[in-house]
Amino acid sequence: MSDGYGTYETLKLERQGGVGWLINNRPEALNAMNAMMRDEFAQAWIELDRDPAVRVIVHTGEGRAFQTGVDVAELASDGIGMERYRESASTFDLHFTSWHQRVAKPVITAVNGLCAGGAFHWVADADIVIAASDAQFFDPHVSVGQVVAMEAIGLMRKMPFEAVMRMALVGRHERMSAERAYQLGMISQVVDPPENLRAEAQTLAEKIALNSPAAMLASKRALWGALEMGLTDACREGAQDLVSMWGHPDQEEGPQAFAAKRRAEWLPLDAEKTAGTGPGPR
Amino acid sequence: MTIRAAYQTLAVSRSGPVGWLVFNRPAAANAMDATMLAELETAWLELDADPDVRVIVNTGEGRAFQTGLDVVQLARQPEALREQSRRTKRAELKLTAWHNAVSKPVIAAVNGVCAGGGLHFIADADIVIAASDASFLDPHVSVGQVSAYETIGLARKVAFESVLRMALVGSRERMSAQRAYDIGLISQVIDPPEGLREQAQALAELVADHEPGELARRKRALWDALERGLSASYEKAAMRGMTVTRETDQR
Repeated sequence: MSDGYGTYETLKLERQGGVGWLINNRPEALNAMNAMMRDEFAQAWIELDRDPAVRVIVHTGEGRAFQTGVDVAELASDGIGMERYRESASTFDLHFTSWHQRVAKPVITAVNGLCAGGAFHWVADADIVIAASDAQFFDPHVSVGQVVAMEAIGLMRKMPFEAVMRMALVGRHERMSAERAYQLGMISQVVDPPENLRAEAQTLAEKIALNSPAAMLASKRALWGALEMGLTDACREGAQDLVSMWGHPDQEEGPQAFAAKRRAEWLPLDAEKTAGTGPGPR
Repeated sequence: MTIRAAYQTLAVSRSGPVGWLVFNRPAAANAMDATMLAELETAWLELDADPDVRVIVNTGEGRAFQTGLDVVQLARQPEALREQSRRTKRAELKLTAWHNAVSKPVIAAVNGVCAGGGLHFIADADIVIAASDASFLDPHVSVGQVSAYETIGLARKVAFESVLRMALVGSRERMSAQRAYDIGLISQVIDPPEGLREQAQALAELVADHEPGELARRKRALWDALERGLSASYEKAAMRGMTVTRETDQR
């Protein structure tokens, strides 16, 4: 299924109903991110965010891994190595997650298997995360002489600190189960049997697609913004996101549809304009 | 017994050292109309000022705990809620104990559904317990509204993904008391649910056993830590600690 999207070598983009799918597609390399994949991510998020037919985005992986970080085989063999990533990383000019790209639409990460190291970027930066019951989480950075930083910092804001530090320090010698990730609130749903992951993700995405796109965008901005500051400041800034919805037709339509017990007819996002206006790095 | 202000939408009382603030519009699932919005401010301040009250329990009458702004009144008499709109815009809400800077410990005892604006009261309570049949949801985006204050408060207290999921899925999913307990949104599930008020009273009496000034200082220091980074929080708490020592010396 092409759905009119651009051509991708390392990713698959699909649309099912109002749900856009972004699928990591280097299964032979456990979906590790090489230079091409990094560039394709930047484009894919924007393309899905701009597609007016897409209301919610699901991100998953092909094969037995969800994602396993940067492709170390490429790093070790192409003569450019880490240099390629040095500048963008040192200036925090990254473009491979939905948060980096300020995606305006809700994003669900559906972890289908191994989720290791750099893969935590997409766990940390998604709005909602679910996982197959056989998914496993670990962060091998320190076991291969690398520093754990951005992914873990993102995760720390979202879940208990100790669990993140343990993963960062124990490295590849221990894996966290989907069940433990659920207990800690890193993910909100464990799908069993694992084969049902995509169907469950689609169902969840369709539920979300029934909500007001404009209200969800403002809520996303308010909530992610709250991770940037203290409680009182976050409430003050959140008030502006809340008020931004006043006068929007959805705000009248919602209560009316509720009272009439009918399905609400939301004003669609003007995706060309809203794409890339979601929460992201400040 | 202290004479209480007359309330139409709340039941305010005292049982031993425990003050009770009970949402009392069961026919409207305890939704907040303009009267309740005004009465909440009065009630929190009255209970906080009452020297016989050491701990406050907040619960609801009937099947619901609290279901947010009364959309029926909003649809019929929008002017009645104009003052509320002004306060919302300026981030000057006076609904919860935190909004009203209540100094005493507050326990929310969730007796049933807690929806939308009802989440304010669990985000802003010090301790939250719930009946086993209680449930939590945030329907804002399903009725074209933005989810902001309540979920921003919750995001400081529990795993962020759970909060985002609640905010984005809206009315089509409810979190159970058990899951709320698992992720630490609440610290006790009461089963059978009928035991809720009794257990809340017992818990409140345990808390009330401590020195009131010390409780107030601890409460302030811990909430204050949600306002700033780690080192800054320690510094501020240390400064407060010195102030307390000086006051004690003077006595």
